[in-house]
Amino acid sequence: MDGRLAAYIARRLLQAVPLMFVVLTINFTLVHLAPGDPITFLAGDQGSTQYFAEQRARYGLDEPIAQQYGRYLLNAARGDFGYSFSYGQGVFSIILERVPATLLLMLTAQALASVIGIFGGVLAARYRGGWVGTFIRTGAALGYAVPVFWVGQLLILFFAFRMGLFPTFGMESPRSDYLGVRRILDIAEHLVLPAVALSLAEVGLLIRITDASLRDLEGADFVRTARAKGLKERTVTYRHMLRNALLPIITVLGGRVGTLLTGAVLVEIVFAWPGLGRLLFQAALTRDYPLLMAMFIVSSASVVIANLVTDIAYVLLDPRVTYG
Amino acid sequence: MEAVRRSFLSSITACVVVALPFLLLACGDDDAKPTAATVGVSSSPAASAAAAPRKGGTFVVSASSDPGQLNPAITTAGGTHFAAGSIYNGLVDLDKDFKPAPDLAESWTVSDDGKTYTFKLAKGVKWHDGVPFTSADVKFTFEQVLLKFHARTKAGVEPVLAGIDIPDDLTVIFRFKTPYAPLLQQLNVIEAPIVAKHIYEGTDIQNNPANLKPVGTGPFRFVEYKKGQQLTLERNPDYFKPGLPYFDKLIFTIIPQDATRVLAFENKEVDYVSLPGADVARFEKLDGVVVGRSPAGSGGSFCVSTLIPNLDRAPLDKVEVRQALNVAIDRQRMVKQILFSQGDAARGPMASTLWSFDKSLPAFDYNAQKANDALESAGAKKGADGNRFKLTAVMPTSQAKLAEILKENFAAVGVALELKLLEVNEANQTVFIKRDFDLGFASYCNGPDPEIGVRRVYDSTNIKPVLFSNGAGYRNPKVDDLFNRGVSEVVREKRVPIYTELQKALLADMPYFWLLESRNAYAVQANLKGLRPWTSSLAEYAWLDK
Repeated sequence: MDGRLAAYIARRLLQAVPLMFVVLTINFTLVHLAPGDPITFLAGDQGSTQYFAEQRARYGLDEPIAQQYGRYLLNAARGDFGYSFSYGQGVFSIILERVPATLLLMLTAQALASVIGIFGGVLAARYRGGWVGTFIRTGAALGYAVPVFWVGQLLILFFAFRMGLFPTFGMESPRSDYLGVRRILDIAEHLVLPAVALSLAEVGLLIRITDASLRDLEGADFVRTARAKGLKERTVTYRHMLRNALLPIITVLGGRVGTLLTGAVLVEIVFAWPGLGRLLFQAALTRDYPLLMAMFIVSSASVVIANLVTDIAYVLLDPRVTYG
Repeated sequence: MEAVRRSFLSSITACVVVALPFLLLACGDDDAKPTAATVGVSSSPAASAAAAPRKGGTFVVSASSDPGQLNPAITTAGGTHFAAGSIYNGLVDLDKDFKPAPDLAESWTVSDDGKTYTFKLAKGVKWHDGVPFTSADVKFTFEQVLLKFHARTKAGVEPVLAGIDIPDDLTVIFRFKTPYAPLLQQLNVIEAPIVAKHIYEGTDIQNNPANLKPVGTGPFRFVEYKKGQQLTLERNPDYFKPGLPYFDKLIFTIIPQDATRVLAFENKEVDYVSLPGADVARFEKLDGVVVGRSPAGSGGSFCVSTLIPNLDRAPLDKVEVRQALNVAIDRQRMVKQILFSQGDAARGPMASTLWSFDKSLPAFDYNAQKANDALESAGAKKGADGNRFKLTAVMPTSQAKLAEILKENFAAVGVALELKLLEVNEANQTVFIKRDFDLGFASYCNGPDPEIGVRRVYDSTNIKPVLFSNGAGYRNPKVDDLFNRGVSEVVREKRVPIYTELQKALLADMPYFWLLESRNAYAVQANLKGLRPWTSSLAEYAWLDK
């Protein structure tokens, strides 16, 4: 199995190369055709025409777009993805600095959402007819539907401002020089509200999917057999049904993790969380082409990798699925 | 079963879909401004220095955008200047009335013909790495950095500068081809921050690593920059101004959203916040908080929201039509509904807080009947649909409210306004580069001299595809000549009448519709003293009482 798995991963990664190329091309075109001009951000708004021309030439922005793309690909093949216009620093080092904050926020939110969502879905399925089920399903629909920036503001207003339980913004207290455990606690304190805000929609989605998957399995033979054997309902649900219901859940989770690196833009803006989402937003606003392209490469790669991991998880969870 | 379920194409779609929303999001953003001359901050507190300043403490400033790189000499970007202004110095500071005051230069003389400026530099100034500061740094900064990369200083000084001489370590002489009046207003830390020759000489200045770990001469020195999060500075113990600064630490924390920034201040997590207009009234009632207002952000930036008529197109090419439309605009309603009364109706082509503004100018009339009559006598008769003519207004989405008021105002005088609200970058491109508009919009901001920012709007040599240039396409040789006379007269008192005449000429031609002047409001805790928000070195003299 291990040899086959390795071969499978290698093949999938190879398949990803042309995919990434196409993604790169489409994104490059989109980014450069979108209205707006990075020169305004690079050179200011009161320069002379000659100065703007100089700056354009310096960054190669005066060339036809096909030529710019060719040069970009050549440089990229050599591992040179350029300098960010606004930071004047290599693009990947800027992105790397922001990865920890994003991973921390996204993984916490995903973990929170998975636990609450799956458990909530099971409860909703078990108490389908009663008020508990209705309550959970309504809550899930609400959680999924409300805009995250609005929920974010309310969380700040109530839990940070009125109750004083959490800080209002950021990842660390600006005044602190905390180290070690105290710093971890400080970050944890800052993490709670954004993670909750971000997980809310996920929780709603997971509850509905878990609930629906369990409902689909209700009439299945193995469920009836399990019940006929006299197993407790709890054992039937968690041991037999949930394991089978996990496949669609994993697919959904995998799809979400794919957008993990850049997916939390609004939450990061509302909570001033210094992650990749905000970096992407800022790069788009200032038309920071090199940074923007690198972020698209990273997010595309994360989609590819997340799909791969999802597929492997599928095989591990369901012996009937094999490596194709 | 086949584990590879996703097709190649659907994966591409997924990846592009990941990218697309951010482009669209960016395209739809209202607040995105091009590199602002406006540094996002405001005004002067009524800083009474009755008690002796106290040393120590940390001052946390909330900023709305990440500074990006921290070399203020290569950019006019507001975010960079707001933060880096505390790390560097200019040759000449501006006091709260925007009069020149010593900074790196302790004194100066101007020759009678206005062509030579001689600066004596302060003694004992050191860069943050201990290297002594000399006149060579000034010459290098101007010749190799500012006049190459600082758009405003390059545009203003380069065409007239004949040369810079440094006869000794502490003397700098600027020689000009023609008399040049505004220089002393252009040497502060925003317009001309001095950077270190020993750090930048012979390097790729725009990508020098020191741009992210700056070495300046300023009151605070660099400690750490966590991008997107915060910039931490500490007191420069060797600062050349004795006793300054007072704070041990100065922190810029980045909070992009207005609402969060305001709550962070109210929660006392930050000590300084620039206030959205809608919050000002509420903040004024808060205990222990001082709300300040300023005519200008750091280093100037007196901004006038301006409607730009395309003078190459009928019927706006007729001055009678423009004069009539000007009277149709209800500016007071705009002040109330758009600025939440945190600003004023504009009274002319210059911000009313600029020294050259003609204070005798009355407020603009608002009189729909008068406008109707004037349009009638200008020959713009009403058609069968009740409209005299149609105009297309190209405006950024952030000005939607203003656009709606204009539409109503113009409809009342029989002028149909078709609104084209575009993402700000696209709106600016459409107006200034493609010139495809009847009415455009810009918030023209300027520095503390009409030469810095005002002239570009009216000078007929500045009609070109450049953002925030003479967008109307206005040509008047008399106006050009008055600007030329104003720039070459060195004594301010003699410049005032020239600019008064200039404003009269512009009001007669009405080449633009000047709408609003905003006032930046900010809040600090009541015990904060000595803040200087009109410069970008806002905490140089600041301290905490009690």
